[in-house]
Amino acid sequence: MSAARRPVSILIAALGGQGGGVLTEWIVAAATHAGLPVQATSIPGVAQRTGATTYYLEIYPEALPPGSPEPVFSLYPMPGDVDVIMASELLEAGRAIEMDYASPDRTTLIASTHRLFAIAEKTALGNGIFPRERVEEAARALSRRLIACDALAVARAAGSEVNAVLMGALAASGALPLSPSDFEAAIREGGVAVERNLAGFKAGMEVAADAAAPESAPARSWAETKVERAQALGARGAAFLAVMAQIEGEFPAALHATLGEAAARLIDYQGTGYAARFLGRVRLVSAGDAESRLTERFARRLAVWMSYEDAIRVADLKTRRSRFERIRRDYGAANGRVLVVTDYLKPDLDEIYGILPAAIGGPIARWAEKRWPDGRPTITQHVKTTAVLGYARVWALGRLRWLRPSSLRAQREFALMDRWQQAVIDAAALDYDLACEVADTATVVRGYGEVRRRLSGAFTRFLDEILAPAVARDRAAGKGYARARDIVSETREKLLADEKGIESALFEAARS
Amino acid sequence: MERSFAEEVKQLQLGQGQVLRGEGILAITKALLQSGVSYVGGYPGAPVSHLLDVMADADLPVLKPMGIYLDASANEAAAAALLGASINYPMRGAVTWKSIVGTNVAADALSNLSSSGVIGGALIVVGEDYGAGASVIQERTHAFALKSSLCLFDPRPSLQTLARMVEEGFGISEASNLPAVISLRIRAAHMQGSMVCKDNVRPAISMRDRLQRHSFDYSRIGHPPSTYSQEAQKFEKRLPAARRYVVERGLNEVIPGEEKEIGIILQGGLTPTALRGLLLLGRADVFGRSRIPLLVLNVIHPLVPEQLLDFLEGKRRVLVLEEGMPNFIEQELKALAYDRALSVRIEGKGTVAAHGEYVPEVVLAALARFLGGDAETRMAGLAGHAGRGRQILGTPLPKRPPAFCTGCPERPMFSALKIAQRELGETHVSADIGCHAFATLPPFNQGNTILGYGLGLASSSAVAPNFGRRVISILGDGGFWHSGLTTGVANAVFNKQDSILVVLENFYTSATGQQSNPSTGRNPRGDSVRMSIGDTIRSLGVSWIRVVNPYKVGDTLKTVREAMTTAAGGLKVIIARAECQLERQRRVKPQTAARLKARARVEAPRFGVDPDVCTGDKSCMRLNGCPSLTLKESGDPLRDDPVAHVDQTCVGCGLCGEVAHAAVLCPSFYEARVVHNPGWRERTLQSFRRRVIGLFQPA
Repeated sequence: MSAARRPVSILIAALGGQGGGVLTEWIVAAATHAGLPVQATSIPGVAQRTGATTYYLEIYPEALPPGSPEPVFSLYPMPGDVDVIMASELLEAGRAIEMDYASPDRTTLIASTHRLFAIAEKTALGNGIFPRERVEEAARALSRRLIACDALAVARAAGSEVNAVLMGALAASGALPLSPSDFEAAIREGGVAVERNLAGFKAGMEVAADAAAPESAPARSWAETKVERAQALGARGAAFLAVMAQIEGEFPAALHATLGEAAARLIDYQGTGYAARFLGRVRLVSAGDAESRLTERFARRLAVWMSYEDAIRVADLKTRRSRFERIRRDYGAANGRVLVVTDYLKPDLDEIYGILPAAIGGPIARWAEKRWPDGRPTITQHVKTTAVLGYARVWALGRLRWLRPSSLRAQREFALMDRWQQAVIDAAALDYDLACEVADTATVVRGYGEVRRRLSGAFTRFLDEILAPAVARDRAAGKGYARARDIVSETREKLLADEKGIESALFEAARS
Repeated sequence: MERSFAEEVKQLQLGQGQVLRGEGILAITKALLQSGVSYVGGYPGAPVSHLLDVMADADLPVLKPMGIYLDASANEAAAAALLGASINYPMRGAVTWKSIVGTNVAADALSNLSSSGVIGGALIVVGEDYGAGASVIQERTHAFALKSSLCLFDPRPSLQTLARMVEEGFGISEASNLPAVISLRIRAAHMQGSMVCKDNVRPAISMRDRLQRHSFDYSRIGHPPSTYSQEAQKFEKRLPAARRYVVERGLNEVIPGEEKEIGIILQGGLTPTALRGLLLLGRADVFGRSRIPLLVLNVIHPLVPEQLLDFLEGKRRVLVLEEGMPNFIEQELKALAYDRALSVRIEGKGTVAAHGEYVPEVVLAALARFLGGDAETRMAGLAGHAGRGRQILGTPLPKRPPAFCTGCPERPMFSALKIAQRELGETHVSADIGCHAFATLPPFNQGNTILGYGLGLASSSAVAPNFGRRVISILGDGGFWHSGLTTGVANAVFNKQDSILVVLENFYTSATGQQSNPSTGRNPRGDSVRMSIGDTIRSLGVSWIRVVNPYKVGDTLKTVREAMTTAAGGLKVIIARAECQLERQRRVKPQTAARLKARARVEAPRFGVDPDVCTGDKSCMRLNGCPSLTLKESGDPLRDDPVAHVDQTCVGCGLCGEVAHAAVLCPSFYEARVVHNPGWRERTLQSFRRRVIGLFQPA
């Protein structure tokens, strides 16, 4: 009975405020321009402020003579019966797939590959980003044809918006019974930012035409990077290359990149002697490590820890020439425009006396921590670092590097670092993988002020109250350290997940 | 306003035979004009917010010239009461609101209205906010129609049918003296399509042709003894008249089919979904011709027993497709079949899912089950790939709940509340309806209850005296003027409640699309009128009132601390006053563009994060959640985790910096203020500064 042709269905998955509504109106106008019956609907409304939003259209593929019966359009997409899915962001393409709308027999999937992160991805302390490879794999597996490109980048390059680029890709795909001129007419009829939208539309058509999947740039070799690092260090570049030569002579090739990056970072942070101290610590772990995996992890975490961000470091980073160049570039402050940068600094007393030598800072700290047990007073500053005096103030602070080795902060950081290092060495004597896990866990020590104190405290409790008992239990049981390994890796995830992580980690560890 | 319908409104003037293209709500507005409506009104709420926007945009060019009065109703009760004009006078009136919540608010007026009965057609267009995209509790309007005897339409969604049912709605209302309700589903409200128009009809009674005499008729007063006769009339006269009208005007539709032993009875709103399902199962064509007979109920109350019996005649099995619970249609049908001792088997909620939206997969599955045989094979063919995507994705994708917009002034208030509670201990927060309800979601997780619009403060009345800390209630300016003023503030003052009320005054009813409210400064018709929340609260006897600029998180935090700890009893009100950022941007953006075009000086502030200073602990995100505050790869070869990043959509509200300060987070944030077309003095100063600073910076 159904010899008549079927409507072509289009599902648009977007985020509130991304222009999905305008895209829908354009397609409706394009179909109307071509004389084809069309219907569209959406679920915007209050529930959709920056949330996931969908639009759905159906186009009847041939013009109908006046007076003939109207096709019955559906207001909903049907899983497995969607001809075109357009997603203005990668995760939203994934969502259309997750809900079974995309089908390998039928669906042309046009997706922008850029990411706008969901709140859960943003608030995880560690890396909560959904793995893009899985979305890309699903997109390939569940579409008849896939057109994927970074529509945001294309739009920016064309001075346009994502929706115009995606419509260009739609036109080029030929999935709809519409010609490019129908879409262009729709943009013109819309009457808003016509030239920019047409530019985006054309760019989208071109991108879709050579729809070969973009290949990621090949990883650069360490040899090239090494030269760059040396250049960036300026006068200290020669010292860095000397340290590098030593590293290359002493450590296996698998470690060169990590140790080299670490050395460059620590020379930049403090000096060549500091990098030598780092290598001394690495040797303690690498001595018994035939595999290098443990040494690599340990060295990575150690280098980041040893370059902890004290006020001196922050001041140094904030006054570099490269920083202002970056801001000028990113914020479009080209010549002829004036740039004013205001830095939001709010060190607490801990930061200040942390810089002082331990012999002076120590007693002050003890007094202050007794006086204000729940957090020391802070000094609120909005510093204009593009003005001479503001800059000079921060710059001067950044010159205090010489105070660092004897500072109270260094004493405290290295005390905890020593405990961790010993824990790694002890664990390595028992179980290699356990040692790797313990080494990795140092990543939770991060942040500033109260956040860092909380996380350092949590890390201490991890060493004392989770790791030690877990190892003791496994040793007593005599069946290897698999359980301790699991506990450590779970603890790390919990600590990275949120502020209350240590409580739940302690609870879980006690249960298992 | 979020959307301007200035262009679309031109189509409201179209005449006989001309074609209107646009959204469902435009078709409805056009149909109101074609029906000779005298007055319109309502309260905004998705999915019918835009209906009011259309009317507001149409006021000056269309409504006023025709003498039609537009009422910007203070709430749904006021909108329902507006229809009281049609009790005594032969005036057609139409109002709109969001259902079920708006209907709840309007319920008292609706009961009285339908008891008194109307002589002028009274029409209510409710946005049936049910299913995906809905923002309220999931109930249907149907029960209200049953208890108050309202004629309830659930029209087949096409612009032409919607328009026709509006006209018939007035007709049935006048024929039966009952108010009529059109239930407009979400997707139907936002549907774009076309319809053929008729000429507009100028109302006989209007602001241009006013009534000269009042009408007094005690039998129309909702007061005993009239109420007893009114009840009798409802069931003896009015509903029978409505049933006759349904049949005579052919409001329900029978689609004949050759498989006469079975049939489907369905709500009109489900028609396209059902026909698409039948198409996919090989039982219908694309033009809506079906092999299975269908009875499409565009009017779902009252049902017409004779019509149902006609359809059931000769059938072995009938499926009822009825979205929502309770299943009134199925129950009535089964009772009827029982009364008449029919042998037909009636399947309903046992075959279809009992509750939730009737999306195509639900309807398709039900149809396949009902039809059996090759239908089930065909359905399996469509779903062959189902689940494979989820399998490859591995874990569920992170949810994308709605959130405060970039630069929203409500976000910083919740940052301050969250920081304050970290310091002083967590307390109970009574949330309300409005954009601020997003604070109940991550990252703020603020708000223990939502009881309804404007009820935030009232819902804390029994918690406050029984809670160890001062509790906090939230009201937006929309909710305050809707009902929070009396239900909340007056109630709290009268009961000497010791608690904190935060009023978020952003000058619009923002969640539904920035409609005007008494804080805006003008009503939707454009008349200048402003009411002050501060003065109003003060006049009720509240003395502890603080007005804060929410973007100054440090100051706001101080005020919250004071409110939580002061010895002063009674209600403490913090008014966080700042304009809705969406509306502000809508105003500012074109101005900025024009200034740039004219080469005038423009300051463009945006925030940023130094990627090498950020350690990726993301504490800022947990106190902020701004869409423009996002993540990027750190670029640091030794770190695995991403760092914070402010993207190009930043509007420079400054919250990220303020939060970093107020919560003492980190020194990563900076404001980069780019001055376009600076004066020569600024340029000279900059080049001097750069030269001096350059001396400190090795190349």
